[in-house]
Amino acid sequence: MFADKGPAFQQLAAKIADEIVAGTYPEGTAVPSATDFAVFHQMNPATASKGVNLLVELGALYKKRGIGMFVADGARDLLRSQRREEFRKQYIEPLLREARVLEIDDTELHHMIDEHEEDET
Amino acid sequence: MTNAIDIRSATRTFGRTTALDGVSFAVPEGSICGLLGRNGAGKTTIMSIIAGQDRPTSGRVEVLGHGPFENESVLSRISFVRDNQRYPDNYRLGHVLRIAPEFAPNWNADVAAELAEGFRIPTKTDIKKFSRGQLSSVAIILGLASRAAVTLLDEPYLGLDVTARALFHDMLLRDYTAHPRTVLLSTHLIEESEKLFDRVVVVDRGRVRVDSDVDDARDLAFTLSGTTAAVDELARRHTVLRSHTVSGLKSVTVLGAMDDAVRADADGLGARIAPASLQDLVAAFGEESSESIEEGARA
Amino acid sequence: MSAVVSTVRLHLNQRVGTFAVPLYITATVAAFSVLLSLLFWRSGSLPGTAGWIQGSQSNPGIAYGLVGFLVYFGVASVAATFPFALTLGATRRSFVAGTLLWYAITAAYITVVLAVLTAIELATDHWFAGFYIFDVYVLGAGDLLRLVPIVFLGVLTALTVGGVFAASWVRFAARGPQLIAAGAVVVIVAALIIVLPAVGTLVAAFQPWWLAVAAGVVILASSVGSWLLLRPAIVR
Repeated sequence: MFADKGPAFQQLAAKIADEIVAGTYPEGTAVPSATDFAVFHQMNPATASKGVNLLVELGALYKKRGIGMFVADGARDLLRSQRREEFRKQYIEPLLREARVLEIDDTELHHMIDEHEEDET
Repeated sequence: MTNAIDIRSATRTFGRTTALDGVSFAVPEGSICGLLGRNGAGKTTIMSIIAGQDRPTSGRVEVLGHGPFENESVLSRISFVRDNQRYPDNYRLGHVLRIAPEFAPNWNADVAAELAEGFRIPTKTDIKKFSRGQLSSVAIILGLASRAAVTLLDEPYLGLDVTARALFHDMLLRDYTAHPRTVLLSTHLIEESEKLFDRVVVVDRGRVRVDSDVDDARDLAFTLSGTTAAVDELARRHTVLRSHTVSGLKSVTVLGAMDDAVRADADGLGARIAPASLQDLVAAFGEESSESIEEGARA
Repeated sequence: MSAVVSTVRLHLNQRVGTFAVPLYITATVAAFSVLLSLLFWRSGSLPGTAGWIQGSQSNPGIAYGLVGFLVYFGVASVAATFPFALTLGATRRSFVAGTLLWYAITAAYITVVLAVLTAIELATDHWFAGFYIFDVYVLGAGDLLRLVPIVFLGVLTALTVGGVFAASWVRFAARGPQLIAAGAVVVIVAALIIVLPAVGTLVAAFQPWWLAVAAGVVILASSVGSWLLLRPAIVR
């Protein structure tokens, strides 16, 4: 959904989305205003609004008139499912491409992933 | 949206030198616009004309709907401190802070005091003896504390250390969000400042080369790199702004948006393709030879 | 109008320069005059004699001391202050008008200072010791009705001449002052060529008010010149 090196407003939206998924901004709670984000990230306020609005359009944030911006119910799941699609593009595709270059076949690749998981635990 | 600054076909010659050659661009009210380009590209001349300190040889300029030259009511709503600003003899910071409100109806002493303290500007030293960074600090105070409807910041970063630059960004954005205004900022520190802009104007040799929304500026050019043969093949159908060759390897910046066709071609030839950053774009226009300008004009 | 007043305030912003420096200079000149008088005294001249008074009153130190500073002041008021005034947002029009107004204020201030000091000198019978510092020929020899126009017009002349030289420098860089100096020389030489045959009659007929008229002409020409030079001036 949000490319790493896209325009600044997309980068901001990606950052806020990360925080929502990570639970920094729980569902139903307020997030800082676009102005606050602008000052905090030292970026243009119009650009910051654009980034926040991207998440509003997506349904992850909603505006309470006169009060501020809140995380929508179900925002975490929404963003997570968005990012699952991204996962294929951003991680699986390059992984397979690199595996092909290095002549790692599927069995070996599966084996490597299993091995890595064992190391982790 | 109305335009705070509107320049139409402004040409400015100094004797036989042409400083501005048919410059046209507009800055909408409330925008923070970057004015980018190499030294001598015409940035300060443009700002001078907007601030009524200079007049175009031909063409016209409107600021807040009126010509600024000798226009008292417009001038009181413009702030412009040039990068090599002169101050009267024996001036110290206190002199500047005392007289500036006289000419700036929206002057805010708290902003001035906070910046003066944050920048650690000496109060007992003559401005004549200030370092480059201290001079920039005084200019920033005049620019931001004036809260002028049209604020022109000419190379505000010159000589500023990293702490001072952060303070400047912080104060600019905080005060701008509370008191919106139109800002035109010229700088060479593009990567550091591009997040501040919603518009950018790139000038080179007195001409406007880019006048765009900052998000759209990403689609203006892209870079190709790989073997010389592959890059030459890919670049054949584009206007090349800048090229760089090292023993068999070549990298070029070309005009235009990256489309799927060129992406596929690049993949096929094993060349890398990436959108040009704002910095790449400015560097490319600054390096461009005179011939490719003519080609670009014909294309 | 408000920008004219703002320009006056811009010049008055240098309080020390405007108000204190003329006092320092006057005090320094006074101290030198006293030392000089003491020198004469030791060499045999006696205070109160006709020779003593004649010699003391011929001392033009006060004029020399102030004129140099005032011309510099006139130059500085335009050369460095004009670019800064434009930066603050003054128009060229209001800058020239405000600067002229400030010249007049400065001239009035120095006139009052010298008039008061002269009055004190006369009232104390020359500082109880026969020192002639302000009761001198160049300042009207103790006649306040002469001192006031002499000082006011003299100060205004020095300031406006400094101003027009600086204006020419702002407009044309180094060539500006050279052109004005050359022009002034041409005018003076031309005037001499016309006047020289009749110089004897003129000297005989000389009236002090001629000087006042001459000062008026110089002030007017310098002020108009400054405006014409600064009106199209740009800052680079």
